[in-house]
This record gives sequence, C-alpha cells and structure tokens, in this order.
Amino acid sequence: MLTGALSGVKVLDLSEDIAGSFCARLLADYGADVLKIEPVGGAALRTMGPFAQDDPHTEKSLFFLVLNLNKKASTLNLNVELGREILKQLVAKVDVVVESYRPGYLSSLGLGYAELSAVNPSIIMTSITPFGQDGPYSQFRGEEIVNYAMSMIMSISGIQGREPLKHGGFQAQYEGGLFAAGATSMALFRQGLDGSGDHIDVSITECVASTMMATQTIYPFMGGVQTRRRSEGSMFENPMPCKDGWIISQAGGGATWEDISEVFRAPDLLEPRFANSAQRSLNGSEMDQIILDAIKDRSKWDLFGEAAKARMLFGLVQTPKELAQCPQLESREFYRETDHPVLGKIRVPAELFKFSETPYQLRMSAPTLGQNNNEIYVDGLGYTPQEAIQLRQLDII
Amino acid sequence: MPELPLDGIRVLDSTYVFALPYTGGHLADLGAEVIKIEGPTRPDLTRNGGLFGSFPENEQGGDWWNRSSTYNLLNRGKESLVLDLSTERGRELFKELVSISDVVMENFTPRVMRGWNLDYPNLKKIKPDIILISNTGYGHGDGPYSSYPAQATTQEGTHGHCWVTGYAGEEPAKAGRSFVDFLSTWTGIFAIGAALRYRSLTGKGQWIDIAMYQAGAMFLSEYVMDAIANEREGERIGNRHPHRIPQGCYPAAGVDQWITLSVGSDEEWIGLCGLIGEPDLTRDPRFGDIIARFKNHDALDDLIRKWTNKFDKYELMHMLQDKGIPAGPVLTGQEVHFDEHYQSRNFLERVTYPDDRNMGTRLLMGRPYKYSNTPLKIRKPAPSFGAENEYLLKDLLGLSVDDYDKLIEQATISSVPLSGDPAPRIDPRQSVEEGLLGHWDPDYRDHLGIS
Repeated sequence: MLTGALSGVKVLDLSEDIAGSFCARLLADYGADVLKIEPVGGAALRTMGPFAQDDPHTEKSLFFLVLNLNKKASTLNLNVELGREILKQLVAKVDVVVESYRPGYLSSLGLGYAELSAVNPSIIMTSITPFGQDGPYSQFRGEEIVNYAMSMIMSISGIQGREPLKHGGFQAQYEGGLFAAGATSMALFRQGLDGSGDHIDVSITECVASTMMATQTIYPFMGGVQTRRRSEGSMFENPMPCKDGWIISQAGGGATWEDISEVFRAPDLLEPRFANSAQRSLNGSEMDQIILDAIKDRSKWDLFGEAAKARMLFGLVQTPKELAQCPQLESREFYRETDHPVLGKIRVPAELFKFSETPYQLRMSAPTLGQNNNEIYVDGLGYTPQEAIQLRQLDII
Repeated sequence: MPELPLDGIRVLDSTYVFALPYTGGHLADLGAEVIKIEGPTRPDLTRNGGLFGSFPENEQGGDWWNRSSTYNLLNRGKESLVLDLSTERGRELFKELVSISDVVMENFTPRVMRGWNLDYPNLKKIKPDIILISNTGYGHGDGPYSSYPAQATTQEGTHGHCWVTGYAGEEPAKAGRSFVDFLSTWTGIFAIGAALRYRSLTGKGQWIDIAMYQAGAMFLSEYVMDAIANEREGERIGNRHPHRIPQGCYPAAGVDQWITLSVGSDEEWIGLCGLIGEPDLTRDPRFGDIIARFKNHDALDDLIRKWTNKFDKYELMHMLQDKGIPAGPVLTGQEVHFDEHYQSRNFLERVTYPDDRNMGTRLLMGRPYKYSNTPLKIRKPAPSFGAENEYLLKDLLGLSVDDYDKLIEQATISSVPLSGDPAPRIDPRQSVEEGLLGHWDPDYRDHLGIS
C-alpha cells in the first residue's frame, strides 16, 4: 500500500542551496524517502536567514527549516576518499541524486554522473545550476539577480528610465527547484517502467527564461523588443493605492467594462477613449487618474469582495502576515504544524497542491545536523558503533 | 534513439491561456499525444495576439487564430480538437475520448466540470485509472475565495509577490508577466509525472488539484516564516540582497544597457575594488567591512555606477566573472537569440511550419532542462484550429461521415472560431513611440536567418 505518489523512491539530496533543497523537498513531500547529505559543518543554507527569534544558530534558519521538511539528514565529508566511498555505497541503494554544485565539481571528486551510473545504472542524477552543465558560461558564478538579468525578465520589470528590477525574494531559485522536480518526476515514471537512468541538467537561468513567452516570441515573429512599463499611464494591471493598501485589476474575465466601471464607481471609464485595450493603453494616464480618484477612500477588502461578485479579475496586495493568516490558505491546508527538536512547534507552508488518492503528509520536521547519522551508517551500511565514532573523529561524518 | 518518457500516453488538454496549456506543450515534448480541446465559440485567448503575443510580421493573415506567437509557443506538439463541451453530444464524445486517454487537464472555475458531470468521480466511472488535473486561481474546496475569478496578473498581488517586489522603499510592484502561471505549469508537470508512476505501480488514478494562489504563496515561504516566527512584514529592497553586498543593477555603456553583479565574500570584494581601479577602496572606512558596506550601500552604488558605465555590459560580465564575481548583463528578448551561451545550449529551437500555414520558420524556447540519455525537442508546430477534428472523431472514435457532418452543421465542432476577434493591430513604430515596445528591429528575419 503506497501512501504517497512517490512512496518507495529513495533520494540523496547533496544540495546546500535553495533550488536543490526545494526540489528534494517536493519529492519528499509526495512520498519519497529523502536523505540530505551535508558537509560536516552543515549545508550553506543553514547560515541563511531569516532565523527564529533572529538567532543565527545552525538549527534556527527558517529558510533551511522550510526547504528541508520531510527529510532525514546525515553528514559526510566528500573531500576524503572514505567519505566518497561511503557516498557510492549510498548511491547504490537509491533512485535519485539531487545536487547543485558547480558543474564538474562532483566529477573532480570521482562522483560525477559517469562514476555514479557505473555504481548504479538506473540512477537519475538531477543537477541544478545557474547556467547548466555545458556551454561557455557553465563555469560562471550565478546569483539570483544574475539569473534574473540573463533570463529576459529584468528587461521588462521596473519602470522605463530607471534600472531594471528583480522580483523580491528568491523566485529564480524556487523555480529551479520546482522545474527540476518536474523533470525528475517524469524521469522517475520512466525509470519505474524500464529501469533507465539519466543525468538531468537544469539551468536556473533557462527556467526563468522559459516563462518569458511573449518577450521571447515577439522578436522572431515581428522584430519587437519588449521593455519596462511606462512611468505614466500603466498603473492599470499594476498595484494602485487605495485607502488601506494596494489593489490590482484587469479587464477581461467574466466582467464587462461596464461592470468594471461600476465596481470602481467611476462612470467616466465608459467614455469612448477607453473603449478597448488599444485605446486604454494609449490613454492610460487619464484612465489611471480616474481610477485612483475613485478608489482613494475605499478599502482593499471591500473592493476585493465587490469585484468578485462582478466576476472581475481583481487582486489586492497582501503582506506576509496577511498570507500567514489567510482563510483561503487555511481551507486548502497549506499550513501545517511541525514539531522541531530545537524550534519547537511552529506553523510552516507545507502543501503545494492536492492529490486525491495520496494526500500530502508532513511526516517529519527538518532534520538537525547529522540527525540520522547512526541510522544511516550503523543500521544502514553496517558500520559498528565503534567505527562510526572513528568516522566522526576523522571528520568524515 | 531511445523512446521518449511519455510515448504512448494520451492527454486530453481542455485548458486555456498560459499555465496548463504550457504543461501540455511540455508533455508533448516528452512524447505524449496531447489533444488540445477548445469550444467553437471559445478559442483560446492566446490566439488573439496583442498582449498575448504577436502575429508573424504583425499581420493577422487570413487565419489570425492560428498565428499568435504565444499560442504557438505554448501549444507546440499538440493536436487540436474543437468540440463544444457545453452540449450533451459534445460531452458524450469527450467521454469517449476519456475512456481511451491517460490524463485529462482542465482549468475551468470549480463549478464547471461538476456542472457537466465531468468531475473526478464521474470521470473515474468512465476510466477508473484516469488522472485528472485541475488548475484554478484559488483551488477547489469550500474556502472563501474558491469561486473568485482569477488570473495571474492580479494574483501576483494577492499571493504576496508585489509586497516584496519594488524599488527599495517604494510602492509594491510587479516583475515579469503572469509569473504565477508558470508555477502551475511546472507543479502540473511534477504532479503528472508522480501520478503516472503511482498509476503504473498501483493501477490507480489521481485527481490533482492545483491553486495558483497557493503555489505563489509557497514561493514566499521565507517571508511567511519570518512573519510567523518573528512578526516581521518583509520589505522591498529592490535589487539588493539580504546579506550579500554590494548587489545591484548598474548602467553599462550605451543606451538602456545594464549589468548586474553580486558580491559576497571578502575575496570578491577585493576583486571588485581591483577592477574599479581604486585599491584605496579596500581601506576606505566607509567600506571597511560588510557591516560598514551595508550602511553605505548608496555611496558604494555611486562608485560602481561610475565604473560600469564606461564598459560594454558583456565586457563587464567577463571582467567580473574572471574575478569570481557573480555578474551578468540584463538581456532583452532580442539579445537572447544572439547570446553565445543560449546558442550553444540550443535553448531556442527552429520550428518550421508547413507551407499552407504561411508562418515560415520561427525560433521558440525549448525546455530549461536536458536529459543526457534522451534528447528532447519540439516535435511539431502548434496545430491550427480543429486540425485533427476528422482524425480524432472519425478515425479514432469511428464516427460516420453523416454523424460528423451533422456535428459541423450543429456547430458542435468547427475548424474556424465562431466568436472572438484579434487584438487591434498597432504599428510597431507607434508602439515604440508610445513606450509600449522598447524598440523594433525591421530586419529581424535576416538577423535570425529565417527570411
């Protein structure tokens, strides 16, 4: 009886970053047994904030916590021969390895896809890097802002006359993790049928680029080059201030333009100069001013409710606190409570989507550093407790 | 060549606009037979052009509905069936297709499939191991917003991204376009792969219920955790980084040319100071350590700007990367076609249309991943409206000529959209003048070698 869609799949997560950790967490969330292998000093993500109570403690990174739910963890030093041998023993027993080191690094240790597939021909190795495994930039250093810049998205984000702007947070890294999980699940389906393995090369820059469907295609279709929005006349479809925050609206959907003018209580919008989308973009400044005046004393929540009744496409700008208390997310069981050995009981964003037959389960909190060392090395690989102590003394685990 | 992962898998793709249609396009790349189903009076909005893409040479042509760039990107490799699911007969035929399919995809508002008795419990009666995937704005279930209409453009605010995006200290903003759609695209790919594997082991199907809103919120997990644990609201820091410094987007030589860079370690900092040519910077007390540098980020940005605007953005990238500093130019939708790295990885694939489509050859984005043992490519262009009506209904389902003709008569099927209009055509020169386009390259076909 499989309780998760990916039950029975065994994964080694060698990643220290956001993208790899998120990819492996998604596999774990839907049933895979995931073991995170960290350097003896801990994965780099453990040093990344935010921290619980702002205490930069190895076990208190909230970023590490949320991206490593449902995993076990052990430490292993890959810079020594015995550590590398132990990794190969583990690889022989698993289906997937997720890693995000610089291309060539694992090969230089004798742990690249060629060596690992010699140990386990069915292995799926998912490598997530800023620019991919090959090509002239493959050895370049990447960071969120660089992935964003080189993926076209910054060229259309921000305001004309000012510098291009990136999304807040680490959207490219999350995308790298999610898209890699997608490519991995398809490879797992096939591995389940015929036992075949594969090396999956995921480029984070290409992940973001692949979402730029109009920006890319307008060039080979008509020579157009998109840019950032105009400094004036393009607030519609972007955040507009109202009494207690910001709202965003859009034409189309189930609401007519008349419905929209009614929700805003702005009859001036019915003038011919706003009659269609082309007219509205040409007369954007005037239209924005009419809407801004009409909503300046109204609350975002009232507008949100009225717009929904009119079947209008409408959003409001929510804050992280509002998200944390959102009744819709509550109804979707997005948040679950986890009991962490150091952080105690804490609510976490948990369920990405719903499966009807194999519901999401938060089975484990994020692991503490080396939490499962004995289970993995003594119970799993058959080292004696005495040998495990020696491995610890040699800084191998 | 080895078989493709989804060889033999049939997908009914009754989805519109961006999110799941793109999932379907990727499934087709992976080898699935993907049947795009649209209603005769409900052509996909992406066919309209305008905001949703552009027409070849900005000409609507005789069949505008087959020509928009975005429609053609998202729906590559599919077959097209135009069938009215709002009629009893249309639904009967749909059910017949379900009985010989593996995956059904839909993105109607939650009540629609229920109303048609095509929700998961009903589909399971037709095909017990069917995999159904639904994508909605707020998800199925009884939550307060479940019935709210939604599209990515407005959701970007609601799921929190706008709050954390914007120039430092200024109002909330968006980045990119329809960002959250693609989180559903890939959540769908992940979920379908897992569901197919589960089905092959257990013989059981699944219902996959995706809410774009929820996926968007997931991508802000660290902000939400900071709110839960530390009561913090998050803030807009523009192009800066929470703990790397300096980081930003700086002007390079030329008009509207930009370089991004991000410095973390002391080694990278010393490398940057060396490049700027002011070794004194490393001894300047304003920038003596990382904490001082954070306090004086604005002054540091000024110094960096003075240096970057003397050089070409690619030259800056190489100079900075040589010192081990993460850096890269802001690339436009034009420049990626000529960038040596994009070219070397064949990210943009040449798709040639049959002559009767009158679309020539175009470059479309492939996939952001590669399988070492199973090379993938865009297998064929997006279909024209209803192109496979005959094949699917007559050959696959065995409809008689009479029955088929009757369906045409009753407008249950069609090979031209019975409603919808193309977006008004704006001359690219005017678009540039009005600031709707950055610029226009009239010789793009020569430059791309597709004329």
